[in-house]
Amino acid sequence: MIEFHEFLVAILRSGTPLIYAALAGVIVHRSGVWHLGLEGIMIIGACVTIIGIVLTNSFIVAILSAIIICIIVSILQWFVIEKLKANQIIVGLGITGIGIGGTAFAVESIFGSLAAISAPFGIPRVGDTFGPYSGLSILVFIMPFAVLSLWVLLLRSRFGLRLAAAGEHPFAARSVGANPSIMRLIAFCVGGLFCALAGAELAAGSLQIFAQNMVAGRGFMGFAAVIFGGGHPVGSAFAAMFFSIVSVVGIRMQIHLGNFVSHDLLLCLPYIVTVLGIWIAARAKGRTNSASQPSELRDQ
Amino acid sequence: MNGKIEIIIRPLVFILLATILCGIIFEIAGFSAILMFNSILDGAFLGSRSLEKSLRWALPLFITAVGVGISFRCGFFNIGAQGQFYMGSVCAVYVTEYMSGANAVIVIPLGMIAGMTGGALWSLWPGYLKLRYGVDEVITTLMSNFIAGLILVYVTSGPLKDQSGSGQQASTKILPSEFRISDASGVSLTIILITISVGITGWLIINRTSFGTLSSLAGRNPTMLKYQGGKIWQLGLVSFIISGMLAGLSGSIELFGPSGRVVSGFLPTHGFTAILVALVASYAVIGTAFSALFFGGLFSAALFLPIFTGLPTSAIDLFNAIIALLITARITLGKKFLRNRWSHSHD
Repeated sequence: MIEFHEFLVAILRSGTPLIYAALAGVIVHRSGVWHLGLEGIMIIGACVTIIGIVLTNSFIVAILSAIIICIIVSILQWFVIEKLKANQIIVGLGITGIGIGGTAFAVESIFGSLAAISAPFGIPRVGDTFGPYSGLSILVFIMPFAVLSLWVLLLRSRFGLRLAAAGEHPFAARSVGANPSIMRLIAFCVGGLFCALAGAELAAGSLQIFAQNMVAGRGFMGFAAVIFGGGHPVGSAFAAMFFSIVSVVGIRMQIHLGNFVSHDLLLCLPYIVTVLGIWIAARAKGRTNSASQPSELRDQ
Repeated sequence: MNGKIEIIIRPLVFILLATILCGIIFEIAGFSAILMFNSILDGAFLGSRSLEKSLRWALPLFITAVGVGISFRCGFFNIGAQGQFYMGSVCAVYVTEYMSGANAVIVIPLGMIAGMTGGALWSLWPGYLKLRYGVDEVITTLMSNFIAGLILVYVTSGPLKDQSGSGQQASTKILPSEFRISDASGVSLTIILITISVGITGWLIINRTSFGTLSSLAGRNPTMLKYQGGKIWQLGLVSFIISGMLAGLSGSIELFGPSGRVVSGFLPTHGFTAILVALVASYAVIGTAFSALFFGGLFSAALFLPIFTGLPTSAIDLFNAIIALLITARITLGKKFLRNRWSHSHD
């Protein structure tokens, strides 16, 4: 039983950042944009949280500044995609590059070296009343409510319908008086908020450390979870949870199979499962043979 | 004619814009932007022997970028150049390991062929998944990069680990000098000849074959291609294979040339920079040569940046990322100045 609790704690720890990232991807996805900048905005969230804690010694200030900066970067991404009509995929990669390069730059110019920064404390923990789960951060416990409220927002509200219309049929959105461009801006802002939470949970949830490139593809995995989950908040959250279960199982397998299979090859497991996941999603959606992608906004 | 001028001016405008943005960021961060750009210019192009150093980074970038351009031109966002580059070097190093007794004249070409095969296979599976099942290639190629990176770590720290190494960085044994096609400077006649032949072949494929014409049609207008009777899956698969092959070739050149060994996680930004090189050049081969030289120069200057200006090396990554952010933007300058030429590659 203790073994099981430990397993669950490990899954929640590694899964929560992924789920927040997937939620950010979902809302932007429904507005008709592929959010490939998740990785970059997440690492900015992680970096700002840790630097904020180190410099100001206050968690609230740190998380608020992470949220604000992530929203600003998201707005930048929105601006380049929406107003400058740039290619979504390349812009997403550019944002990722800005995240990785910019955080390295910031860390090196503030602290003088690229070594990992550790913070004296992280996100507040839930405390002893939760027994074996006392080490988890409050963001883990907020996560189910975040998923649920995003579900309500996207599928059970007027705003959600308009957002979906902006993504699927901008003309229809316009005809009910919703400006698709503004809808996407709102989606990106909410996405920035979730990315900041994802980064904060990743860096300050259990480790309280920021290291170079620590996101290591989790943002892209979150995006893959969006595709796997069909753009549905609950489905994508489960997809993200599934990816994290696989990576936890991979880590467990290292303990048991470490002598037979290489440690590095077991680390590939989540990436391979991600590929399998979107393969399944593509098969479920039906075969398409075209090279077309939403590199263009459907605006006309 | 107007189009040709646009294709040159466009990237220059964006590079200038990125330079200004970066300058502002560096000034805010407390560095001298003027000093930095001076030292980049000096380190990349103007200083003594700096052009040779720039060429060392530009040559592999050019080879990979020609491949990236071929797949992007066909409308497939093959982001996996990094992984294909790694797999190319891994396959080549295995050949040298198992044929260490043989003559260098056999081993080096075989190693390069192995590298090209490795790269091609590594880009073939995302391509196949895309064309057969419609699995989005952006995610699969991104994931393939991470997997290839871990395979590289496995190979360099496991089966082919150099036991005498310092232990700081896992790497394979350094190749004996007869297996090298250049010294550490990375510029030799062989490498330049290979690069030029890749350039010529790439130019011929794009401009003088039906594949080139059809693939750029596929990138511009897949629907039209369909009704013209073109086969998107053939074109797509070939473009995936070519791009993987070239990235793999460049990985094997890195092994036989300047590096002489495969280091865990070497050149981690190679693939991303190659994508930028191709984008800046609008996928044209001649343009790719110039933009490869530019980004190669930036990279070589970046290595000396901390020494001369105190600026971290990551400043160049930031600069590259800002170019990536802006390069596909369709800003109209004046009266439809930059309009048509660019839009074709994405529509």
